[in-house]
Amino acid sequence: MLWFAGVAILGGVLVSLSRQINGRLSLSLSALHSSYWNHLVGLLAVTAFGLAFGGLFVGDPWGAPWWAYLGGPIGFVFIAASSWAITRIGAAQTALLIIAGQMVFGVIVDVASGTAGDTSARVLGVVLILAGMIIARTGSEKTLDKADPND
Amino acid sequence: MPSPAPPRLIDFFGAFATGGLLTLMVWFNGTLAGYGTVLFSSWVPHLTGTVVAIAVLFILRPTKASTKPAPGWAYLGGISGAVTVVLTSTAMQSPLAVSGTIALGLAGQMVFSLAADKWGLLGLPKRAPTWRDIIALLLIFAGSLILIFWGAN
Repeated sequence: MLWFAGVAILGGVLVSLSRQINGRLSLSLSALHSSYWNHLVGLLAVTAFGLAFGGLFVGDPWGAPWWAYLGGPIGFVFIAASSWAITRIGAAQTALLIIAGQMVFGVIVDVASGTAGDTSARVLGVVLILAGMIIARTGSEKTLDKADPND
Repeated sequence: MPSPAPPRLIDFFGAFATGGLLTLMVWFNGTLAGYGTVLFSSWVPHLTGTVVAIAVLFILRPTKASTKPAPGWAYLGGISGAVTVVLTSTAMQSPLAVSGTIALGLAGQMVFSLAADKWGLLGLPKRAPTWRDIIALLLIFAGSLILIFWGAN
């Protein structure tokens, strides 16, 4: 169990790591180039993994509704936008806002599509997230390190 | 060390909207995984994303920010992303299930982001995390946990 918890945490670390690496590439090239390289290299990696271990086309891969295949274009914009953001507002603020956006839009999608759920938990969750965003937005000079008085 | 000014509104809401794109991606790719494998549900968006990327670069021809070449490792972000798919799908099949995997992943993401800012990891600008950043992260983490574990049935 602890081992799986470590795997799950590492998954999150790698999400952040990949965003930083792509952000670094966008500093030299552009956010659009960075998204291109992310997708091309990722495609090669996933293809290699599929060839090595199998399981790429198991099941009924072509039976899904057509819109389910459109994650790629969205992913292209997503990687470009996060590479843009991380170089401007930093890794923590980018992570915080992307997570907030994912959660809040997730609730909107669930409510709009009539997915059953606990309304009070949804309200409380969204309120906490919005409160966190407001606090992040107001900014501050005091840092965890000794704040530079000239800042 | 640069003082962390509040992010500009456009960057702030841009990053928030970017998170909304992730909701769509998880939805679309998750639907694919219901028909094929998790690997397939990662392979398809990488493939179609690459095709779109080639078209966009060809049409827009974005200028390069620097004449100096990027370090070689900066091209490998996609590997990290691909490994993530394998790790999370492994963890999801454990007793952690989807919600536990997402929750722990968010925690890992937040802590590593703070570390990246503090030490300027991977060649990005250093930004000392503020107490506000920490409090904001904790609030958003708490809100996310409530949504993950109690929001949906």
